[in-house]
Amino acid sequence: MQRTVSSLPIAPPVKVKLISSGFQYVADLCDLRPLQLSKEAGISQQEAVDVLQEVRGKRDQGVAPGGGLTALELFEKEQGLGSIVTFCSALDSVLGGGLPVGKTSEVCGAPGVGKTQLCIQLAVDVQIPLCFGGLGGHAVYIDTEGSFLVQRVVDMAEAAVKHCSLLAEDTEQREALKGFTLETILSNLFLFRCHDYVELLAEIYLLPDFLAQHPEVRLVVIDSIAFPFRHDFEDLSQRTRLLNGLAQQLIQMATQHNIAVVLTNQMTTKVGNGQSKLVPALGESWGHAATQRLILHWEGQQRLASLYKSPSHPEATVPYQITVSICNPLTVTSGSFHHSSIH
Amino acid sequence: MDIGHLELNPRIINAVKKANLRSARDILSLSDSDLQRLTHLSASNVRSVRSAVALACRSRSPAVTALQLYRGERPALEPGHKLTTGCPALDSLLRGGVSLTGITELAGESGAGKTQLGLQLCLTVQYPREYGGLSSGAVFICTEDSFPIKRLRQLITLQSRLKADCPEDQRRRIPFSDNIYVEHAADLGALQTCISQRVPILLSQGLVRLVVVDSVAALFRCEFRPEETVERARHLLAFASTLHRLSHSFCAPVLCINQVTDVVDPSGLAVSNMGLAETKVLPALGMAWANQVLVRLMLRRMEGHKSVDGWSGTPRKLEVLLAPHLPRTSCLCSIVEEGVRGSFTPGSTPLD
Repeated sequence: MQRTVSSLPIAPPVKVKLISSGFQYVADLCDLRPLQLSKEAGISQQEAVDVLQEVRGKRDQGVAPGGGLTALELFEKEQGLGSIVTFCSALDSVLGGGLPVGKTSEVCGAPGVGKTQLCIQLAVDVQIPLCFGGLGGHAVYIDTEGSFLVQRVVDMAEAAVKHCSLLAEDTEQREALKGFTLETILSNLFLFRCHDYVELLAEIYLLPDFLAQHPEVRLVVIDSIAFPFRHDFEDLSQRTRLLNGLAQQLIQMATQHNIAVVLTNQMTTKVGNGQSKLVPALGESWGHAATQRLILHWEGQQRLASLYKSPSHPEATVPYQITVSICNPLTVTSGSFHHSSIH
Repeated sequence: MDIGHLELNPRIINAVKKANLRSARDILSLSDSDLQRLTHLSASNVRSVRSAVALACRSRSPAVTALQLYRGERPALEPGHKLTTGCPALDSLLRGGVSLTGITELAGESGAGKTQLGLQLCLTVQYPREYGGLSSGAVFICTEDSFPIKRLRQLITLQSRLKADCPEDQRRRIPFSDNIYVEHAADLGALQTCISQRVPILLSQGLVRLVVVDSVAALFRCEFRPEETVERARHLLAFASTLHRLSHSFCAPVLCINQVTDVVDPSGLAVSNMGLAETKVLPALGMAWANQVLVRLMLRRMEGHKSVDGWSGTPRKLEVLLAPHLPRTSCLCSIVEEGVRGSFTPGSTPLD
């Protein structure tokens, strides 16, 4: 399938002249010189130079003369990106192996259901070495609520190290374990604290530079994106505009730098028809922002995770727990997401 | 942030000033094309303005790693210690005590003992750092009854029984009642003035490091009619964000005492009940408030249970409902002459 001249990003008058002179496909233009093109198409020399630069520039970038990637190349690229495991087998299988890299995911839930726990777990799990099935990458944690407490990170990091050391079978894994200790995990987790939405906007604007300086980052967590945008705003349309802009920037970062972006959202009560139900906050249009949406909720005493929106996996609900392994009854030592049976 | 101090070409700075864009909020809230239109600058100039403003905003708090926080190298972000409650059992339930940043909520029925614990914290905050305090005073904002001054005097006299670890001569040097500032707020306007004007003055002068609001629910529940929930939520969020900002800027713990509401229809409950299926009461003020608190504690009276550790009176149970760093555990405690004391009995089992 060849690329047509009408799809090139050049001025419409020039396009019309090219097409009426008989140049249908980009391949026809490739081997011409500017003087030849300007005489044949009846355009000025400067315009001919611009058109040829446009055509040749794309080819020099290694893109096929058709322009863009083929679907097969895209598929292979996506397969190679990997995903971040959560250590909860049911949740991982629902998400198709874990949280996908290169996409934005949203986690919504009521307070206390475990959103921050999941985020901290992911920030630790992204650092698991490759030979154990992780990504061996670094993590950026943007905290807007002040709920990032180092004590919890230490608990989860210790649990992850213990889990991996129990799994280590061959020498390669044991070697990798030496670089996977509490200190290295903590030193590869970057924390940014934003106190209001202006700081959050500034931070996300500067994030691409940070990611360029730290190419091993594979996860960016924003906990939570709802908090700074839910007060101080009289003009809701401005809020929607800013959130959309943010969502665009985050998706761009996710694809350009090969990172997974996780956003946490709060729940709000929606009253209608005499009933009230819980819906994710920040409005209807925000629902389109993330690629995947995971909703965490209670049913009686059981916590459930529902995959609410995903382009590649069916909707499903699985139970999960936040466990604590108690060595000493008076202190909490470690915790992680743990799969429990359906009943 | 002063626009004039940014590292930009003076011509660009003048264009921005002429467009009446003074603060970071104005500039960052506009899109690139809006900025171009208002300032008549080129696209690349607009991008450099935005980067300079963003850098100026963020230079206040640079990136840190979790390791630096763990080692205590960034006390502004992670203080590394907590405010003791005065009782070792309660401290171990809370893994050290009350968190120094963020809002801690204490909910319970009337007569459960919430004000008692609030008073106890007003005293423990005055101890020096090595005994778990913050060497500073407390501000106690009353919205319901008058301040229980007699009980406070009793607690002060019996401090030696509660906190036995502090030597007597050091304790005598602390003027306990002088360091507790009591504010009365009879309506929402007074409450908002109090926390936005008077409390910041006390905090910035270092006179106080603890803010206790007793109670949060009283004014918000009575000043709004049931159909005005949106209005109430807006005021609640504004109130919570002021407290949140104060807590983070001054590294001061905030304790908000809350009332409870009855769970009317457990089966048809569309609102989240936080997995407490058998509970009959929930903290008041709904989801809007619940999203703002960091640590949620509930104090219950355990009627019909025998007293704990030989103390007289009905035992209480202090439960952790919600916290990022604590599991769902509880601890039995009692209100005695010298304050609230917890016990290390096997009653402290995890709830899930």
